[in-house]
Amino acid sequence: MTKPKIASDWMCGCAGCHMSLLDMDERILKVLELVDLRATPITDLKEPDESGVDVGILEGGINNTASEEVAHKMRKRAKILVALGDCAVFGGVPAMRNFCGVEAALKQAYVDADSNEPGSQIPNDPELATMTKTRALHEVVPVDYNVPGCPPDADVIFYVLAELAQGRKPELKNELLHWH
Amino acid sequence: MVQITINGKQIEAPEGTTVLRAAQMAGIHIPTLCDHKELVPYGGCRLCIVDVEKWRVPMASCTLPVSNGMVVNTETEAIKKSREFILSMLFSERNHFCPFCQVSGGDCELQNAAYHEEMTYWPIQPGWNKFAVDTTHPYFILDNNRCILCRRCVRACGELVGNFTLAAAERGAASMIVADTDVPLGESTCIKCGTCVQVCPTGALIDRTSAYQGPNAEFTEIKSVCAGCSVGCATKLIIRNNRIVRIEGDWDGAINHGLLCEHGRYDPMNESRTRITTPQMRKNGKLEPVSWEEALGAVADKLRPLAGGKNGVAAIASTRLPVETLAMFKELFVGNFKSELVTSTEEGMPTAAVTSFAEKNGAFEGKLDVLRTADTVLCIGANINRNHMVAGFMFKRNLPKGTRLINIDPEISELDYLANSTLKNKRGSDMALIKGLQAIIVKEGLGRSPLDIPDADGLIKKAIGATGVSREELTQAAQTLARSISPVILFGKGITAQRDEKLVEELYRLAVLVGAVDSERNGLLSIKGEANSLAATLLGLDEAFNLNGQQAVYVAIGDDYASKSLVERVSKAPYLAVQASYESSLTEKADVVLPVTIWSEQDGHYLNLDGHMQSTQKAITAPENVRDNMAVLSEVAMRMNMTMKSDWKTSVLERKSSVALN
Ligand code: SF4
Ligand code: SF4
Ligand code: SF4
Ligand code: SF4
Ligand code: FES
Repeated sequence: MTKPKIASDWMCGCAGCHMSLLDMDERILKVLELVDLRATPITDLKEPDESGVDVGILEGGINNTASEEVAHKMRKRAKILVALGDCAVFGGVPAMRNFCGVEAALKQAYVDADSNEPGSQIPNDPELATMTKTRALHEVVPVDYNVPGCPPDADVIFYVLAELAQGRKPELKNELLHWH
Repeated sequence: MVQITINGKQIEAPEGTTVLRAAQMAGIHIPTLCDHKELVPYGGCRLCIVDVEKWRVPMASCTLPVSNGMVVNTETEAIKKSREFILSMLFSERNHFCPFCQVSGGDCELQNAAYHEEMTYWPIQPGWNKFAVDTTHPYFILDNNRCILCRRCVRACGELVGNFTLAAAERGAASMIVADTDVPLGESTCIKCGTCVQVCPTGALIDRTSAYQGPNAEFTEIKSVCAGCSVGCATKLIIRNNRIVRIEGDWDGAINHGLLCEHGRYDPMNESRTRITTPQMRKNGKLEPVSWEEALGAVADKLRPLAGGKNGVAAIASTRLPVETLAMFKELFVGNFKSELVTSTEEGMPTAAVTSFAEKNGAFEGKLDVLRTADTVLCIGANINRNHMVAGFMFKRNLPKGTRLINIDPEISELDYLANSTLKNKRGSDMALIKGLQAIIVKEGLGRSPLDIPDADGLIKKAIGATGVSREELTQAAQTLARSISPVILFGKGITAQRDEKLVEELYRLAVLVGAVDSERNGLLSIKGEANSLAATLLGLDEAFNLNGQQAVYVAIGDDYASKSLVERVSKAPYLAVQASYESSLTEKADVVLPVTIWSEQDGHYLNLDGHMQSTQKAITAPENVRDNMAVLSEVAMRMNMTMKSDWKTSVLERKSSVALN
């Protein structure tokens, strides 16, 4: 049997969920025995195979046109899509900017905050993605499994990956289910 | 009994019970949010819905009475789906950020309910509307973003505390928990009891001291008793690393049933006095740190020659100290030293008159519980809104339901605003007033038992003259009291501090006259004072502290505050030894200061105002060089070669108590 292909990427998150994935320690070797790890933000290959992967994992919410693209691409190429962590599942901390809107958030970050040089401006390079409301992954594309946690701990991620790698459906409950 | 079936299990439930309670009794879990066992079922959150066979729609089990033959299912697919939908609606209504919420991870009933349904996400995302966070209260914070509008806080503030500060304004999705007329909590009529925080199922109400100190699972919980006053409320001390992070009312508490007042819940958390951590002795006019050996040796050397002599040692102990400590104090100074002036810091003001009446007439007071069912409460000389507040909660909650309050107090008190009649009599006119009330009742033939009053008109006239209260007001109060079915007369220091046993006697006659005291119930209560007021008087420590040439004074103040007048009196003594926990103007005057444990650092017993003997255990380890209050007394005794042998449990029974002990 060929090993299932897995790819991951991050969007509007803090990379903490991927750190938690690495926190699996030696168990990561076991996961690697079970799966064919393809593109991830922390390995050389950056995009999921055009030919498709079995499991796609996304960390972070969707907060701009670039992350929208990432989400759509992963959804298109992955048979099973996993939202990893509170930002992907709920919107998380970055979604707090929805309270004030994109404009006010940018102005605060690039102009008003004390840490800015006087005369600082909101970056307006046309190459930059356009900011949007911050959304949970399931608000943009259909999600197969939501894995909450800020971050989900290594045990949770290991369980989910191991189940998916062996063709089973992960069921998060009891100690494995937490939202923080 | 009613037969019902829940999830296939045959259950017998008492008639009138709700389906929810019946399920709980049978060990079947039905998720709930707005339900709280101390509150009237409300049916607001709908999470407790169940399927009842042959019924058209799911029903909220918390408000559904059981009926014979009912077949209930709590875990059908449809019910589970509905629960998930209800929770989804709740999460979408406000803003929940579990990763940084104080109660996340075990202590949030909302989150736990979602986990129970194995929800991994919110099917309906929030609307990202901003909700106010009210941080104006000194002790807690209301974050409306996490509020689920279950109204437990509103109901607790009204139904239990009787303060009715909180309410839900607006309707539907616009509903908002507000204080009074939507004023900041810190500027509201809130009396800071913290009950709302204790019942809130989410992180919407969090208290300042324990928030973000960790989940409850990381705390230890020790049952204790509040040493704040003579009500004796049962508490739970929530402790982390030898530090109390929060005090909760113990729902199992026989007296308070979970309630506390500001003094019980928050005062100990906001202690600002400086702790004394080493014995001190006056050397060249200044207090210097010394060893325990030196300090105790010096006290013993000073007191030894004075023992037994007239004008020897005067001793005074705080009524906040445990019963056993007070008993030992008495044995040491009365039994061994033969001192003529041994008393307690309250000097019998709240109790002496009561006990001397009891010594002649036996127990004559009732139990606090009687307040819960009173239809009229006559409060005389007791500002129950400021002190002994939990006793006040017991009837204040019933005022909107028709319980009447008559407040008699020369001082302006918050109770005046709640009272149906307020009699502001002139100071010192209580006797005339009480007799006047008796006379009106007898004259109008409203008495429930005979009382011989030869000159009723004279007494009424005298009462009007002496009190400055009008005939109409007096008559109205008398009629209200006499016409009620279950009246209670509650008297406080305003009466007892006059040290007049006759006043107590007349109150007793009034109580019998109006049926507050009869063969079936006893609705006469004195509210007393500090935690061990009653024990102190039963030990005979209730004299006035009038120094009269004594050579030395020993003050066991413990963690109590010394009154200005006490400090003034003892500072004239040639020698002053103080055992105290905190620095104060009293310890400043001392020749020797012995640092002792505070309430939470010692084992002890407290005899509350209605005769409940309750025990506490040491919950916190005292600072290194601080010693237990009792241990210090026995060290002094040992150095004087005095033997302490009496049993405090019998010592406290030496005098007749005004209330039956249990
Ligand atoms: S109140 Fe409960 S559900 Fe809301 S943020 Fe806090 S832990 Fe999460
Ligand atoms: S602290 Fe007590 S009085 Fe104040 S709002 Fe809460 S329940 Fe009401
Ligand atoms: S503040 Fe707490 S107790 Fe009050 S309605 Fe909101 S969630 Fe319920
Ligand atoms: S009423 Fe008295 S015993 Fe009860 S909490 Fe308040 S101070 Fe403590
Ligand atoms: S618990 Fe029954 S409706 Fe809330």
